Amino acid sequence: MTDFVALADLHSSQNKDSAASAPPPRVHLISGERPLVFLVEGSRLFEVDRHLFDAISQSESKGDTALEASFRLPINLSGSNFQLSHPAAISLNIAQTCNLSCSYCYADEGRFGSRPRIMPLDVALGAIDRLIAFAQGRRVTVGFIGGEPFLNREVLYRSVEYALDLARAQGCAVGFSITTNGTLMTPEDVQFLRNHRFAVSVSLDGNATTNDRYRRARNSNSSFETAVRALLPLLDNPGEARVAARSTITREDLRVTERIEALAHVGFGEIGVSPLRTSAQSYLSLRESDWPMFLEEMIRAAEADWQRVCQGSSFRFSNLAIALKQIHRGACRPLPCGSVANYVSVSADGGYFTCHRTVNNPEFAMGSISSGLSKRAREAFLEARHVDRQEPCRNCWARYLCGGGCHAEVAVAGRSGCDYIRGWLEYCLRLYPKVLREHPSLIDKTHEVIE
Amino acid sequence: MSEKIFPLNLTARAAMQIAGNPATTRLESGVSNCFPGLEFDHRNLDRRFFPGLVFEFASSGSALRQGARLVDLDVDDPDLSPAAFQNRPGDAPDPRVQERLRDELRGETGRALQRGSWFLKTVEQGGKSIALHSHNNPASPLDAMTTWRLVHSLEPGSITLTLARRPEKEGETIPEPREVKLVGWRRIFVNSHEGVIVDAYAPGELTQSLCSPWTHDFRDCACTYWASNHPDIVLAEDVMGEPTLPSGTSANPERANTPIDWLRSDRVRARTAAAEGTEAENRSWQMDHYEINDRWQDLAIVLGGKETAAVYFPRPSELANPLSCPDELAQHLKDVATLEHVVALEYLYALYSLKNPNEVRDPDLRDTLIFVRHEVLRIAVSEMRHLRWANQLIWELEHAGLTTKKFGPSLDPATQVPALDAKGQPYMRPRALRILSPDVLQEFIDIEAPSGTIEGQYARVLTTLRQPRYPTTLHQLAATVIADGMQHYSRFRDIQKQLAFFPEQVGQTPPYLRALTPASPTGDGKAAKDLYDRIVGELQTAYAKGDVEDAGHIAEARRIMFDLDEAAETLGTEGFGVPFF
Repeated sequence: MTDFVALADLHSSQNKDSAASAPPPRVHLISGERPLVFLVEGSRLFEVDRHLFDAISQSESKGDTALEASFRLPINLSGSNFQLSHPAAISLNIAQTCNLSCSYCYADEGRFGSRPRIMPLDVALGAIDRLIAFAQGRRVTVGFIGGEPFLNREVLYRSVEYALDLARAQGCAVGFSITTNGTLMTPEDVQFLRNHRFAVSVSLDGNATTNDRYRRARNSNSSFETAVRALLPLLDNPGEARVAARSTITREDLRVTERIEALAHVGFGEIGVSPLRTSAQSYLSLRESDWPMFLEEMIRAAEADWQRVCQGSSFRFSNLAIALKQIHRGACRPLPCGSVANYVSVSADGGYFTCHRTVNNPEFAMGSISSGLSKRAREAFLEARHVDRQEPCRNCWARYLCGGGCHAEVAVAGRSGCDYIRGWLEYCLRLYPKVLREHPSLIDKTHEVIE
Repeated sequence: MSEKIFPLNLTARAAMQIAGNPATTRLESGVSNCFPGLEFDHRNLDRRFFPGLVFEFASSGSALRQGARLVDLDVDDPDLSPAAFQNRPGDAPDPRVQERLRDELRGETGRALQRGSWFLKTVEQGGKSIALHSHNNPASPLDAMTTWRLVHSLEPGSITLTLARRPEKEGETIPEPREVKLVGWRRIFVNSHEGVIVDAYAPGELTQSLCSPWTHDFRDCACTYWASNHPDIVLAEDVMGEPTLPSGTSANPERANTPIDWLRSDRVRARTAAAEGTEAENRSWQMDHYEINDRWQDLAIVLGGKETAAVYFPRPSELANPLSCPDELAQHLKDVATLEHVVALEYLYALYSLKNPNEVRDPDLRDTLIFVRHEVLRIAVSEMRHLRWANQLIWELEHAGLTTKKFGPSLDPATQVPALDAKGQPYMRPRALRILSPDVLQEFIDIEAPSGTIEGQYARVLTTLRQPRYPTTLHQLAATVIADGMQHYSRFRDIQKQLAFFPEQVGQTPPYLRALTPASPTGDGKAAKDLYDRIVGELQTAYAKGDVEDAGHIAEARRIMFDLDEAAETLGTEGFGVPFF
């Protein structure tokens, strides 16, 4: 329910700011054989009969009250005040350097615009101390990121050991995640990831050709082959670790289905894609004209995945699986992600930043492990980014599903591809009732552990 | 136009309000029987089972008053009029029967029924006639409850009643008519068109005679059975700032283990005393009938067995990192079981090192020994239960095909026991059979400390079993072990407090202890050791099969435990302890 709580501010701000302009949409209507009504607040999805659907379409355009009269439930919600608590997740940039030199890397090949750095052990442990001290019994997550985190293996190993001991003493649970290119992993590392139930996110773009085009090893070997060789034992037997591939889509090749196929062939069961929006190599980023085609590609990949599900498999296209899960839960958030509210990133020299993509950028600095997290900076950051205060977000029906777009990307490139996001969400909203009807066990897991 | 709206996702489902009463308010969800403490008394429905007549199913002592007594004639009963069935023709009786019954009740028969004391004598339905008196003595009517059960079993449709007039007192002569026969039908209680109870019942009629909890009735309920539980004894409320254990119980063992009377009249905290042993003994200290009407609001809400006046905060759920796979879980449980086993043996050995209460003269010491022996035995038994549960968990994991190999049963006692050193640091000490000296008692307390050594083992088990791959019953089982373990710590501390009244003199054994040494397992102690080995053997067989399926071996193990108790007691009086290991 925390997703709703943050809506409180939103109403007061709406009333203040939008007195003069048209009210933001409160409903999104999706026509079809089984028409759908999506109530924006609370992300509530209903199937309705055609008569009612038509009546609502007409009344919404005229601004009368068919919606209230039919639904007999509050269309606008009000929540209590949002309380900013301490983050329950951090990522440690343990190696701000990388053995690969991917041309599109947001992190400037791991260095974030400065010289390569390795996080000293005391910085890592200090950040973990703070995380757990403020955890107040909640489950916490420590993520390891870079650059390439396996370049600082000792700090990785010792941090995990330390976090486990500390969490045990404090009576809280701790989970781990890592984002890696996979190329440096040893058999010991694989066992380590299994033992500690890591969520492993491997940056790999597709087959060898697709991958090696931008993900280049400094020693001119195929980074694909090196990564796959190191990853195979983990993919064959992940134990209790969860392994997912994450593929970056550039404008030079917008195909999604083929990448998923290639990565599934390698052995991944969970595969996600992200379109490149900002990059030092600007010719690779998607442009306004690319979004319609990318949307088509996403839907094509989703349809293929859905066909597999209909034949008895489970979802492997994680963009789709996550969207369906969020729709099922009625995720409704005024921000795009947990950054700052529930998650911060720690740079190699101990600075807190809003997330792993803004490390070393002073505009996104949130304090340091020596001075502590700045409550004021966090509040100001979140206050300024509330989706109801963003343009053109505040007049978009998908605003609480989308949250307004990645802070780091918006700061650099503004908002683009909004039609793509709406199109993708609408596709998922249409698919959701089918999944619920035909394969409910895939999403309606009432006993699932909420992490 | 009917509008159809189907909520799809979770937030939509949560927002939709479904018309109608929740299922929990329906009669069929109730615990209803005929005792009026509950939400519904069926007799109130059946009192109008025959349209136009109102019966009472309440007996009083005299045979003249037993059975179903006619208390009212309701000639305006709506079911006697055809109009009542206009919109529910399916429920309607034969119109001729209806008309004749109405005429009879409004005529001479009705007038007769209004004079004197009338009871139901027979009921006939479907060619069967039930006489409402004992088989061999027509003068001995069935009691009200039996009569009601028979009436309650009638089916909808035609019935014929015979009513008989009884003398109001012995020897009274009854004028004619002495019997009346009425043909009618068993009322259809619920309007089958609308689904509501028919209009024949006046407002309040169905709920009359129900108790009102919190008032007079709450004082002395004849059945001591309440729809919402009425506790007899509870634990006292936490005092502001009072240290508590993670389980939520008081850190003060006396407060954590002393039940108080929930209905006590004296509510001053400083004067709150332990409850007496029986209801009768407590009675005179409790709120009386009129007092409870006046002060019901002083009675405390009880949550988790403890009085709670302030806002209740549930305990946060146990957090720990789960074990990685069923095999690791089974191995962990296997290790835990060996630990449960060895501490049960250490506790049992210590139990028989306490003098038998019959051996001592000092009445205070005797009382203390009765208490302490009882408590130590309870803790030891509880450890044995844990041993069984841990084995059951292992068996269930194996049985569900979750483990890759067989792990159980686990019945070897561990050779090392976790302990705390002088600085409070954990270490493993060798297992040992020792008398219950103050030092040993302190070690037992340390083992059982919350999140200490034993109980901490289950937190990981619990977190692991919360994962969806494990059947939910296993999680519940593990949760029971944790809740149970919390009490051991508190109970040992209570024991410590009681024994402190009998300090040891320098160089002497404390007055409550026997100077026990382990008997030789091949000599004096052989018989007892053999009994123990047989118990373990029986358990081995039972646990291997899954104890649910092999209750015989469990029962046999239990039987031998009594023999072992006797043998241990005999050895104890001779200065020897059972050589368990």
